[in-house]
Amino acid sequence: MSKIELRGVSKAYGATLALRRGDLSIDAGEVHVLIGSNGSGKSTLCKILAGSVRPDGGEILIDGKPVTITGPRSARDHGIGIFYQELSLAGHRTVAENICLPDLPATRAGFVDRAALDARAARYIALFEAVAGEGFAAETAVENLRADQRQLVEIMKALATEAPVIIFDEPTSALDRAQVDRFFDILRDLKAQGRSIIFISHRMDEIFAIGDRVTVIRDGETVGTENISETNPSAVIRMMVGGQDELAAGNSAPPAAASTARVPVLTAKGLSGKGFANVGFEVAKGEILGFGGLHGQGQSSVLRAIFGVNPIAAGEIVLDGKPFAAGSPREAIRRGCAYVSGDRGRDGVISGRPILENVTPIHYLRQKLKLARPSALAERVKPALEALHTKFGGLSHPINSLSGGNQQKIVIARWLIDRPDVLLLDDPTKGIDLSAKADLFALIRKLAADGMGIVLYSSEDAELLNNADRILVFNGGSVRRELTGADRTRYNLYQAAYEAA
Amino acid sequence: MSTATLPSPRPGTLKRFVERYPFLPALVIAFVLLALNGLYQPRSISFTGITGLTKTYLALMMLAIAQTYVVYAGDIDLSAGAIVSLVNVVIVVMMEKMGGTGFSVIAALVVGLLTGLACGIVNGVVVAALRLQAIVATFATSIFFTGLALYVMPVAGTPAPATFWRTYGGRFFEIPFVYFAVVLLAVVLYVLARTRLATQLLAVGDDAQAAFQSGLPVTRIRIQGYALCGLFAALAAFCITGDTASGDPLVGGKMTLFSVAAVVLGGSALSGGFGTVVGSVIGALIIGLINSLVFFVGTPSEWQNLVQGLAILVALMAGVLVGRRARA
Repeated sequence: MSKIELRGVSKAYGATLALRRGDLSIDAGEVHVLIGSNGSGKSTLCKILAGSVRPDGGEILIDGKPVTITGPRSARDHGIGIFYQELSLAGHRTVAENICLPDLPATRAGFVDRAALDARAARYIALFEAVAGEGFAAETAVENLRADQRQLVEIMKALATEAPVIIFDEPTSALDRAQVDRFFDILRDLKAQGRSIIFISHRMDEIFAIGDRVTVIRDGETVGTENISETNPSAVIRMMVGGQDELAAGNSAPPAAASTARVPVLTAKGLSGKGFANVGFEVAKGEILGFGGLHGQGQSSVLRAIFGVNPIAAGEIVLDGKPFAAGSPREAIRRGCAYVSGDRGRDGVISGRPILENVTPIHYLRQKLKLARPSALAERVKPALEALHTKFGGLSHPINSLSGGNQQKIVIARWLIDRPDVLLLDDPTKGIDLSAKADLFALIRKLAADGMGIVLYSSEDAELLNNADRILVFNGGSVRRELTGADRTRYNLYQAAYEAA
Repeated sequence: MSTATLPSPRPGTLKRFVERYPFLPALVIAFVLLALNGLYQPRSISFTGITGLTKTYLALMMLAIAQTYVVYAGDIDLSAGAIVSLVNVVIVVMMEKMGGTGFSVIAALVVGLLTGLACGIVNGVVVAALRLQAIVATFATSIFFTGLALYVMPVAGTPAPATFWRTYGGRFFEIPFVYFAVVLLAVVLYVLARTRLATQLLAVGDDAQAAFQSGLPVTRIRIQGYALCGLFAALAAFCITGDTASGDPLVGGKMTLFSVAAVVLGGSALSGGFGTVVGSVIGALIIGLINSLVFFVGTPSEWQNLVQGLAILVALMAGVLVGRRARA
């Protein structure tokens, strides 16, 4: 009998189906690996099990008995502990307090039992003593720790639940080799105690080093489970890819730019900065260059650095044949560089303001407008909005009245009034609906055909495969592989993305 | 200091010190203000002078403490002053109706505490359970509480029985009563700081989502924070009743934002997760010292508000600068 079994669990956020049908069966005393590409539903599945997300349907069985998990507390009562990918730490609290936070030891009078708290925390800190690094102590506030040390605290916190089932959602992404080795030793101990581990990682070598079985999730559905000893990395990648390896029709033709003379519009050489190192590429007029790979491998950082948001430590950029080093987005915009982020709330939408104001800021900046007549502006704005099939009530309506997809169209439209030479797209379709996506990519291809140079980073592999002329696969902050022509397959993309960093 | 002679093994000793005791900059400012007070009016730093200051500003200290517990969790209570008013009129009316005996005082204080607690729980439920914005929701409840206070006592001026205010202003064993209150307060604060609730409130203030995912009952913790705030607001009302010796349905209103200012002066973060109640007490003291200093310097009455405001701004800036320098 399985320790834990999930049958047909599903979860939708609004219209987006995060998890269609999650099936999972975990035995006692095994390390069970979950793998799947970005947004396939792994984390949702784990959060459902940990009680921080309520499922819409399906059933969960623990020791063969159906249970309802109503919240994180109830999950703990059912013997489930979790390491959260985004961490669940209180920055101003100490390491020891964070480790014990879910269940602060108390004296009979209801006070925090400091001695018990320190003793309990010390047990888990001792596990990583040799590899935790400088400045790691029980009384240090978590906000003063490095990223890898915080991750260790979250690991200790998960271990401190002493739950029979512990979920680790990407626990190793910031850890160094020695820390990972130590962590794996601990996992093997837990396994020997008969505890069950659910382990998510994108590093194929780790999966094969620690896993007993692997379950593959694709597009919110469990594809299958294999014994690690009976499979190999390429078989796992094939399961992740499934039958969707073909390119969209009409796109397998050689890119237009290749046939005519290539005129480079944006060239980067040896770019290094926070989160990326030695990145070089060239975008020609009319070309769509794709950035692929797993989330957070440096793609966004490169784009933001080029646009002048973050500093560049080394390397050079040439825009239209002239050296280019934007110190601020303002400067980048003046030079004809455009950037659209998937994080509309942070980087795009001017919340609460009319649509007209949301479409025109770039126009103001590039034309150095001092005064504006709304009626004249409206004339300029209309073609840009029509090009995107944007649906809106009126230019004076607040932008918040639109759907996510239409908001993103407005954000993109602001770049279309005065055409830039280079368009940097940083996961632009995050959280927008399918028809808006289709409109967007139709426009992007048209812009490319008009001669714009486009860099597209997308966390959805299908978007890259269907739209990019070339794909650079990022892994660990640098370009691991370039895929061109017929090489642009999902299999190749995954292989480069998931191979050991 | 011994650290100066050592070859600086840890560059951040001062930084760690300030992190551990975030109210240190405030303490420095309070001492500077105290010295200035003494400079302009030597009698103000005599025993009698300090006693008078404590007697007047104990209410604000209590209210600053009350505010601190909700700020811990990243919330705010704009009704704290209105709770003070409500409790003030409730206990004065009750003592008067029951004849002003010793028993009536005790009974009124118990009812006053319960009133404060009830107001706190109402705030907590409205903010944490109904998930309304803390600023607006507690602003609304402040109007509601003020309305109740005006219903209980439409016009200010009912005197509190002599038993009550004579005790507050009196002496026991030659020591003024307020110092007993301060010692008792210190013990209560020491005890509260060691409860699970204090740590949980701070954890919620740091990151409510993370706290929820860690399995903390976030809603309950926030309501408890507001309940604690209500209780301390009631204590503030007792102090103000002892000091003014009368009931006034609007007495606490202007104290609300002073309490918020005291919390910030004391080094706590309004965003939550970081702070100390001791800091807030010192913050309230700073405000008191500024007010008395403005008076002692001999500022013309029409300029007093302006100078007061400027002085609070300067104190805030000094606190930020000192804190930043120490932490850098």
